Amino acid sequence: MAHPSPRKMGKRGSKRQRAGFWFVLPAFLFYVAFFAYPFLSTVYLSMTEWNGVGTPTFTGLTNYSRLVQDGAMWSALTNNVIWVVLGTAAPIFIGLIISVMLWTGAKGGGIFRTIYFLPMVLSPVVIGVIWNWIYNPLFGLLNTGLRNVGLGKWAIGWLGETETALYAVMLTAIWTYLGFCIVVLYAGLQKVDSELVDAARIDGASPWQRFKNVIVPQIRPVLTMVIVYTVIGGFNVFDVVWVMTGGGPNNSSEVIATYTYEVAFRNSEYGYGATLSVIMSLVALSAAYAAMKFRKAGEA
Amino acid sequence: MARTASNRRLFNSTGKYVVLIVMAVIALYPILQMWMTALRPSGEILRNPFALPSTLDWSNLAKAWTTGRFGTYLINSVIITVPTVIGVVVLSCLAGYGISRFKFWGRGIMFLTILLGLTVPFQSVMIPLYYQLLNMGLLGTYWSVILPGIAFGLPFGVFLMQSFFEDLPHELAEAGRVDGCSEFRIFKDIMLPLAKPAVSTLIVFQFMKTWNEFLMPLLYLQDEDMRPIPLGLMFFQGAYTRDIGLIAAGVAISTIPVIAVYLIFQRQFVKGLTSGAVK
Repeated sequence: MAHPSPRKMGKRGSKRQRAGFWFVLPAFLFYVAFFAYPFLSTVYLSMTEWNGVGTPTFTGLTNYSRLVQDGAMWSALTNNVIWVVLGTAAPIFIGLIISVMLWTGAKGGGIFRTIYFLPMVLSPVVIGVIWNWIYNPLFGLLNTGLRNVGLGKWAIGWLGETETALYAVMLTAIWTYLGFCIVVLYAGLQKVDSELVDAARIDGASPWQRFKNVIVPQIRPVLTMVIVYTVIGGFNVFDVVWVMTGGGPNNSSEVIATYTYEVAFRNSEYGYGATLSVIMSLVALSAAYAAMKFRKAGEA
Repeated sequence: MARTASNRRLFNSTGKYVVLIVMAVIALYPILQMWMTALRPSGEILRNPFALPSTLDWSNLAKAWTTGRFGTYLINSVIITVPTVIGVVVLSCLAGYGISRFKFWGRGIMFLTILLGLTVPFQSVMIPLYYQLLNMGLLGTYWSVILPGIAFGLPFGVFLMQSFFEDLPHELAEAGRVDGCSEFRIFKDIMLPLAKPAVSTLIVFQFMKTWNEFLMPLLYLQDEDMRPIPLGLMFFQGAYTRDIGLIAAGVAISTIPVIAVYLIFQRQFVKGLTSGAVK
């Protein structure tokens, strides 16, 4: 029934087109059962109060007004914003320099790209464990190194101090995905018209002017996609924070995702936890939407 | 496309290599240091962590494998990863082909619904999914991470396969139709073999994603005997905080399989991760 027999040539066109439905249906049903349906349940739960036992009590938008007044949520969201800004600006700045260096022609460019990309294939847990050790206040590599070069007074507990914990975790995350930024930007650079760069050079443009006015405009679509990636990643970050600090000390490295986890699974406030996770989706979705609009505007 | 050196020269050449090499060291050193520490006799680790090991000591690796039960975790990771990857690839190929080659009722809405999943984090479904799996009697079984794992792989998989099939020429399928093949046979025998590059990209990409997943098994697989590698490593770290050599051995066992797969299939993997960005 799914695949019309070719002998019924009469309505072949429309019948044939309808076969597409049966190709898509299995994936769609699967997706609805284990993704879309639970997501809609989350939206419903976000308007209830529920401790995980019995039936959720419908409370309308109470959770959302609680959210607006929840100081812990705002400080977590502030950390996400810091993460988005620094976690986008730093790897793009470094990534542009490195990818242009590779693009200008370097021996062993392929090997460099392979190495830069490597941290990206590791599990966040592995990365967290490695960097927990690097940052260990007593025998960590960072502090041992600092003491060896006579900077012992700088050897602090990087993950244990409220001032440094967030940035130490962020540095680890950037170490992980910087290679991704380099490889994507490098791929974008392959489409840059060398003759334009050459013409600018003949016209006396400095290397910086050539970079800023000739190269960057040509890789703008790719640049936008990297930004979408780091922005969504920054709002949704969970694993590396959870493994390294759990949001501590004193909530100083708390982000929305770790806060959501705590509210739901430590405090058993499933209703409010659902509210927080709906907000996470909305923020990521609008960030992606804004970036796509921005990209379209750039192409027009 | 000729790569003329002159117009691209923006940097001083020696300085360039210094920067590129420093970056490579930064990317690699933490991992290599972990492997070195795993092979170092325990007494040496604290004295000078930066030096090369004086002798190779395999006892930490052996201990992590047996007491740390990394052998069990490795098997669990395989049990979870293989069906997840197969499920994502089969369903994505079918759906991607259907969306790209046919016009039918519901096509647009189904595709859009699946694509929206690209921005929804797992946190947004984890709570109801827990109770759904509980009601279905799947919680605590391997299925509790395999089935949602497949669903979470679909947005990217369908997107990737859809854009690949769209770019394939239509003439071959027409030839099959003239010969009287069913639509499914056209897909299976003519179009799918042409999609090998995209399929291998999706396999490698989904393998890495599932292999490294940790929140889903943390929530849905409470039994210690069913933990996959990342989860095992996390609990292992908690239990042996002070024994760096042993933790390093756990990291070595966890990283070597993925890095090996990456080095063998890196082209497919990089293509998978960047295909969304570079199109």
